Amino acid sequence: MKTKFKSILIAACMLPAFYGSAALAAETGTALKNDTIRKEPYADAKSAGSFTRGENLEILKKQGAWLQVKTKKSTGWVRLLSVKRGTATTSSQSAGILAAASGRAGTGQVVSTTGVRGLSEQELKAAKFNETEIKTMESYTLSADDGRSFANAGKLKPIAFANLKAAKGDSK
Amino acid sequence: MKAIQNTQSAHGVIKTHNGLLISALLASLLGLSSMQGFAFDLKGVLKEAAQKELGQSPEAPATDAAQAQPATTSGENTTAAKASEPEFNWKNPSKEEEIALGREIAGNLLGAAPLVKDAALQKYVNSVGRWVASQSERPDLPWRFGVIESEDLNAFAAPGGYIMLTKGLYRKLNNEAQLAGVLGHEIGHVVKKHQLKVLQKQQLLNIGAGFLSDKYAKDNKLASKAIGTGAEISARSLDKSAEYEADRLGLSYATRAGYEPYGLTEVLQAIGQTSKDDGSVALLFKTHPHPDERLVALGDAIGNKLDNVKNGKTLENRFYQLKN
Repeated sequence: MKTKFKSILIAACMLPAFYGSAALAAETGTALKNDTIRKEPYADAKSAGSFTRGENLEILKKQGAWLQVKTKKSTGWVRLLSVKRGTATTSSQSAGILAAASGRAGTGQVVSTTGVRGLSEQELKAAKFNETEIKTMESYTLSADDGRSFANAGKLKPIAFANLKAAKGDSK
Repeated sequence: MKAIQNTQSAHGVIKTHNGLLISALLASLLGLSSMQGFAFDLKGVLKEAAQKELGQSPEAPATDAAQAQPATTSGENTTAAKASEPEFNWKNPSKEEEIALGREIAGNLLGAAPLVKDAALQKYVNSVGRWVASQSERPDLPWRFGVIESEDLNAFAAPGGYIMLTKGLYRKLNNEAQLAGVLGHEIGHVVKKHQLKVLQKQQLLNIGAGFLSDKYAKDNKLASKAIGTGAEISARSLDKSAEYEADRLGLSYATRAGYEPYGLTEVLQAIGQTSKDDGSVALLFKTHPHPDERLVALGDAIGNKLDNVKNGKTLENRFYQLKN
């Protein structure tokens, strides 16, 4: 009897612990683009639904370059970069940011930017060429061989991979 | 964290200052933010160069520079050389000229934000950067990297292989693959000569428009000129397309170097979560496309190309931890 109570007690204590970890694992995110949600983390897996840009979702798991997400309507896998992780923003805010980000003059246009914070404009304007600092920076210059040794020490193996090109139809 | 600087600003500066050039810095990397812009005023230098070019071939568009024929070029150089000191060939700058220009720009930036006094940190960043740069199309440049004293989130690249990132940005990184991605973005700007092209274009335009007087044309060396005009730095941007290109190249170089390919995108994710009202990213957001847009563009460019790339390393175990 005593033993039985003990087990129940332990079980009772563990339940909250499980719930707790589940809650911690729940991460939210926002869809960065319209995309298909797939049943498995593969490009040719069957569709399990879709989400639209700006839609809030829950991130359940990460596997390689895929995220398992849960939206109001479906659960499944999408590519990592289709989702903005972290605190979700409302779609209107998101739209505002995106609009601002793309509110640019055409390529090649000259646009003046004045606002400055952080390293202040004053600081920058007052800056004078610093020979000592540039020499110090140059003193750290390494050779290609140095770089290779460093890579070997970390067991980094160079691989063949062609430079990415802009997506078709993407003026960016 | 990665910010990237935009080109737009750079152009603006130029216009505003009439010719000055510069901007340079440009490049920031990943997005970052803060540095708003740096525009270095290379006015003098550029003007000089511009003038020279002008005198020699007033109508030559900047874009033709790269195609100048060797024979013609050497003839011009000869003529110019007689005129005075070393001249800066804006139409078709040599690697040495490119490096000298970058040195001026980087030196000015360091005048505003010095290197973090931690030799082990600087050595580590140079090691990672050098290895990534070796995967680029310009492995022969004397690549050098530095972490500068600023809590802003930003990174910069100057012509010839001078690359800096802020301590604030470094602080946001969790592993070596992320650092490799950020440095790769900046390396991409240098490889594609994004800043240099902006400077060249402006300089040659000035020359063509007659903004530069003969007087300017005659004196000075590139270095003294740039320094003489002071470090008028402003926030500058590169063209947004240049930032997207640098993102693609940065990710490609880091991937070739053996790193986990998504380091750069993780940094962009982190930067994207920083409030736009946060001063540390003000410059970055002003000069670069929003991180969200950059992620979408990168995602579209990646498509399924990374599906078979496995075993990339993150190396968080040897990632250098800041002392403060």
